[in-house]
Amino acid sequence: MELKICHLFPDVLNLYGDRGNVTCMQKRLNWRGIDVSVEGISIGRKLRASDYDLFFIGGGQDFEQEVLLADLKGEKTAEIKAAIEDGKTFLCICGGYQMLGHYYKTWDGQQCDFTGALDLYTVGHKDRMIGNYMFTCEELGGVTVVGFENHSGKTYLGAGLKPIGKVLSGYGNNGEDGMEGARYKNVFCTYSHGCLLPKNPVLADHILKTALERKYGKAELAPLDDAIELAAHAYMEKRLSSQK
Amino acid sequence: MKKIRVFFAVLACKLARAAIRLLGRGGTDFPGRVALKICPDLLGQLAKTVTTVIVTGTNGKTTTSRMIEQAFIDSGISYFANKTGANLISGITAEFAVHSKLSGKCKYPWAVIESDEAAFKQVGKQVNPKAVVVTNVFRDQLDRYGEVTHTLNNIRIGLQGCKNAVVCLNADDSLSASLAEELPNEILFYGVNTPIYKTRVEEVSDAPYCIKCKSEYVYDYVTYGHLGGYRCPKCGYARPMPQVAVEEVLASDTEHSEVVISLDGKRYDANVNLPGGYNIYNAVSAMAAGKALGLDPAVVSKSLSQFACGFGRMEKFDIDGHSLRMILIKNPAGCNQVLNFLTDATEPFLFVACLNDRSFDGKDVSWIWDVDFERLTEMGDLLTGVYVSGVRADDMAARFKYAGVPTEKLRVIKDYSELLKACLAQDRPVFIMPTYTAMLDLRATVSKNYGFKNFWE
Repeated sequence: MELKICHLFPDVLNLYGDRGNVTCMQKRLNWRGIDVSVEGISIGRKLRASDYDLFFIGGGQDFEQEVLLADLKGEKTAEIKAAIEDGKTFLCICGGYQMLGHYYKTWDGQQCDFTGALDLYTVGHKDRMIGNYMFTCEELGGVTVVGFENHSGKTYLGAGLKPIGKVLSGYGNNGEDGMEGARYKNVFCTYSHGCLLPKNPVLADHILKTALERKYGKAELAPLDDAIELAAHAYMEKRLSSQK
Repeated sequence: MKKIRVFFAVLACKLARAAIRLLGRGGTDFPGRVALKICPDLLGQLAKTVTTVIVTGTNGKTTTSRMIEQAFIDSGISYFANKTGANLISGITAEFAVHSKLSGKCKYPWAVIESDEAAFKQVGKQVNPKAVVVTNVFRDQLDRYGEVTHTLNNIRIGLQGCKNAVVCLNADDSLSASLAEELPNEILFYGVNTPIYKTRVEEVSDAPYCIKCKSEYVYDYVTYGHLGGYRCPKCGYARPMPQVAVEEVLASDTEHSEVVISLDGKRYDANVNLPGGYNIYNAVSAMAAGKALGLDPAVVSKSLSQFACGFGRMEKFDIDGHSLRMILIKNPAGCNQVLNFLTDATEPFLFVACLNDRSFDGKDVSWIWDVDFERLTEMGDLLTGVYVSGVRADDMAARFKYAGVPTEKLRVIKDYSELLKACLAQDRPVFIMPTYTAMLDLRATVSKNYGFKNFWE
């Protein structure tokens, strides 16, 4: 078996150690004898979405966003939309998550149009939502996800979208409705960096399995020794639980 | 009225500090906050009669300050400095207060002050320094400072308040060099005219796109990170020619670097007694500060070989014949530079990382994934082991696991006494990389268990 990963804008959307998620997916596949290739597609390079099985988009700084949006318009947006509808697996974090929505409106009213691949939008807020946080994830059988959020945008989901989970501690999408992230077909969106996958190995394997099943119909992942990863998870879970 | 306020503020500050010392602690923040409550513009009042140089920027503040300090000592200048790393407005105010008489007159004519970038907004204006050194701007604790452009803005506002200062800027840093254009001040650029490393760690650039027009930069050479000979092909913004420059790197190993620095048409040999390319930058920035302050460059270049590094900045401890080096880490850029010179090591060593996530460390530990720790793994048998500790030891362990460190080489030891024991139970030199508060705790444990000085002594 083999997975082809496309890391979109790796040099621009790289703010919070997000590239660790790609390393994590790579290693967890390799450890199981599954081949994996990673290709970075940045500004100015053509994206042929049909070449890949799994897409990763991280978060970035506002400064580079303009450059990026100009590049994203048109062809790349069309490719991304088609791949999503085709059931390809996406993991999008923070800025990458917001970018799949319709737009971002800054708190002083300026609107920045995004891809509109998913029915969601984001509104900027003066106060940033920063800190360690935790949410449940139903499709993982109640396993919690821990991470760190740092965003000033409040994201709201349209009727056709489900959140990825419910916030147990922290802000999540907007600090208002208790929702975190978004789920649509095989798209996983979250505000959680920190880095997300290494300390949430159950989620990591769930995403990898989703991509493998889309490609091969059926896939079983052999268990790994996750003692270190689970210790990192347990530490933060305990700390956030005792804060409540 | 003003004088009375100053009197009571200075008195309160001195008393608070003495009380804290009696309790056996090294706090410098609280006394400053007390003093500022009594007299909000105390810093400005106390700094009036002092000739001050301020060092700010993301990385290298403390080391550069220690270099300038040594240059002051060797030039026979009477000064004080905020040595304990208390670089917020409260800590800086406290340093001025304890070095002043109750009348508000400072006991020293000169001062070397390092300032946090965000605090510099206030500090710059109040202190009215004679020179300011901006070391560089890198991505740093994002939960505290926000994006690099935000940090840059803080420094800009601070500089606008420094009406009488000569401003020393890093020509090789496209971000902070851009500050020159809007300032009426005399600008002194410093830089490195040559690549430093034969091979570099893989690192993400914090500034790949032009600060002015957002086109991608073209580089003639890179020293590290986003530093080097950049130019924008579209708008023409480019690295300015530095007036103080490293022309050649003659030698560099895990102990020191030998460089040639040009200044006003003359060449000075400097033996920098700390390793790493970032310390070459610190050295050339200290030379620039010396020029801005009118010191003799021959004296300053000599000082670079004998300054005492700041606590936790490559500080060396010898315990029962074991060598322990402590290197403070704060952000991916700084950490990658440490790895750049560690990978030059020819002798096997033990590597220790202590990761905390308190406010002074940065609450967000995700940056460890932006550090190229894979380079350590590639060293094979030269890396005898990796021990991890600190509040977030498990996250650090996961990072090393995914960097490819074999799990039998990896140990999680959360208790500092146990950690130090384990370090001394083997016979290789040890490089310890702690975050800020981990460094304070670790150093306190070294003091307590092995009889070294506390940092405020």
